[in-house]
Amino acid sequence: MTFGVRLERVRAGYGQGDVLHDVSLDVAAGESLALLGANGAGKTTLARLLIGLVRPSAGRVTVGDWDVSGRRPDELARRVGYVFQHADHQLFARTVRDDVAFGPRCLGLPGDGVAAALEELGLSRVAGAHPYDLPAPARKLVTLAGVLAMGAGVLVLDEPTAGFDHESRELVVAALRRRIESGVTAVVVSHDLAFVAEAAERIVVMREGAIATDRRARDMLRDEDALHALGLGPPPAAALGLRLALSGSPVRIAECVAALRGARWTAPAV
Amino acid sequence: MIGYAAGRSPLHRAHPYTPLAAASAVLLLAFAVSTPGAVGVVVLAAVALALLGDATGAIVRPMLVLVLPTWALLLVLHGILGGDPHLVLGPVTLSEPGVRRALVLGGRVTAIVIAFLTALATVSPPRLVEAMTARGVPFGRIFLLVSSLTLVPRMRARAVQILDAQQSRGLRIGGSAAARVRALVPLVLPLVLGALAEVEEQVLALDARGAASGARRTALDPPRDTLGERLVRMALIMAVLMAYAAKFMGRGA
Amino acid sequence: MKPIVRLVDAAFAYPACEAPALADLSLDVRRGEVTAVTGPVGAGASTLLLVAAGFAPRLTGGTLTGTREILAARPGIVFATPWTQLTGLSRTVADEVAFGPASHGRPPAAVRAAARRAMDQLGVAHLAARDPATLSGGELQSVVVASALALEPDLLVLDDPAAELDPAGADALYALLGALAVTGVAVLVATQDLERAARIAQRAILLEAGRVVADGPAAATLTGTDAALIARAAGCPAPLPLDVDALVERLAR
Repeated sequence: MTFGVRLERVRAGYGQGDVLHDVSLDVAAGESLALLGANGAGKTTLARLLIGLVRPSAGRVTVGDWDVSGRRPDELARRVGYVFQHADHQLFARTVRDDVAFGPRCLGLPGDGVAAALEELGLSRVAGAHPYDLPAPARKLVTLAGVLAMGAGVLVLDEPTAGFDHESRELVVAALRRRIESGVTAVVVSHDLAFVAEAAERIVVMREGAIATDRRARDMLRDEDALHALGLGPPPAAALGLRLALSGSPVRIAECVAALRGARWTAPAV
Repeated sequence: MIGYAAGRSPLHRAHPYTPLAAASAVLLLAFAVSTPGAVGVVVLAAVALALLGDATGAIVRPMLVLVLPTWALLLVLHGILGGDPHLVLGPVTLSEPGVRRALVLGGRVTAIVIAFLTALATVSPPRLVEAMTARGVPFGRIFLLVSSLTLVPRMRARAVQILDAQQSRGLRIGGSAAARVRALVPLVLPLVLGALAEVEEQVLALDARGAASGARRTALDPPRDTLGERLVRMALIMAVLMAYAAKFMGRGA
Repeated sequence: MKPIVRLVDAAFAYPACEAPALADLSLDVRRGEVTAVTGPVGAGASTLLLVAAGFAPRLTGGTLTGTREILAARPGIVFATPWTQLTGLSRTVADEVAFGPASHGRPPAAVRAAARRAMDQLGVAHLAARDPATLSGGELQSVVVASALALEPDLLVLDDPAAELDPAGADALYALLGALAVTGVAVLVATQDLERAARIAQRAILLEAGRVVADGPAAATLTGTDAALIARAAGCPAPLPLDVDALVERLAR
């Protein structure tokens, strides 16, 4: 099942005043959205609304036909898979495999997604290892696998690639793309624009608890002025596309490589 | 909640050693006396301390959580199972020496809990660090003491994050008693494992910043200690000594 | 000048692990240079930092074989998780940053001056009066780096120091590391952020499964940047350009 996500005039916060002011946002089923913005702009608050860890003080949040305000996080977990920024708050099983199986077991799912999720993220080799014996980025991959194995229709990922090497990032991108193609909705909070370029079709920029920009990712990632205003620059593939006026307006690495194929190279200047 | 609660009461402003000395005095006095009346006086002293520290609001809940079960247990154990003579209070019959015993033990526990929760609520851990540093206490000892004082608030913050994470993985909190017990493992294990991993990293981090350098640490902003407060602490020590002197002389007579 | 850290045929194994985390390790870390360490997740970059800074096996346990010479008088190290590096004993960010120099028993004025300088370098002077427990991840990471800089280190070792920072903050931090090296500090940084590392590093060490697979000028070693990957896939011959500017220059018009 796939679900869209909708926020209607939502206010939300943590007690002392609202962090989000009157936010409305519609994410269609199968769409992939990246949330950008400075620290404290409200990205994580928005993400936490979707799993019911923050409750709206006004307005309505829906996931498909469910109003989140009537449901506990463990109920929402059937539709929303949330990957936290820091992995160490949830790992507890003796092996990576058992930990990845925990979510599906809580939801009463058969667990046939566990081996697939491990394989997808390159964790099959360490499936029998203790999660705490793995380095921090690998532990984060384990939490991601745990959420993928739950088979939710909406994925919410908070900084999923921080500290990852190129290969791990590729694995996450590929896993995410496969799901988006099958209709899963993705909401990604990330500072990593190269990852955003690979994974998202739409970019929403938050500023001071409100939506400041809502654009196609391809347009935003090629708009140097708009990015500079946020203290950002185009990711390398998009920057090359702009500098060389490459055909097809590439923003992803593969697109850029395709546009450069057949180029002639010179020896480096000494 | 158990731990420091910011405020401007005389205890908050006092040198950190003073509230700690007062709480220790309550502890020692509670064991120096053994009649319900005298224990009652110690409880009143503890309550006075809490009022002086403007801490009643902060400590009432943890106090009740710790003390009420103790009272219930003591009254059942001693009141019902104690020896003759028995008092008849409506439908219940209670052992009179048992009730006296329960009053003494329960009073002691109550006084000690109130006094130490007050000290925890009014002694700012960073000020205590500065005070101990200024007195030349080795860092290892300061760290052990202060990190145990701040243990509850730190664990609490971590527990909230774990609860969020596991609920998001579909863990149901609540429901039947069996379900609650099953939910404990995924909540408690990350708390313990995470705390252990964190301690390892923190040891490295503290060492990296010279905590084990062996030099005498510089106290940057040591809390002021006044003659008046020193006199108060001396008076507390004298009171404790006199109470124990009276106790043992009374026994000898 | 002699390298500040020299490893010759070194190997290191964690306690209770048969397989060594690092093996056949020979490398120099030099003053006035930024040396980047990178490699796949789990290749041993973090362990290499612990060995180079003298923390392993002294605090981690395990066994180190081969030759290790560390000439650093004041090593500073920043670990990957900023929240485990707070002392938990400080009331303000200023006190937290001052912890290192205070540990070494320097006079209060010198301690405060070192802390102020370090906070200025990281752009966190405006946070000086804040309670460290209330900082955001990015603020915390900057404060932790400032805390290491307050030691005025001659060897600065950092493990993925920008993971919590936003892009502007990460740019500023890497620029600062480059500037520190210019003043003569030896900087050793483990990172996956090859774009930023390529901007400042003179040397880079590439690890795989605990062994050095490349050690040389950054321009020849950090060939995993997005620009380099694009250039290679598009048929560019070695040496690969590491950033967009270099790639554009290499294209024949």
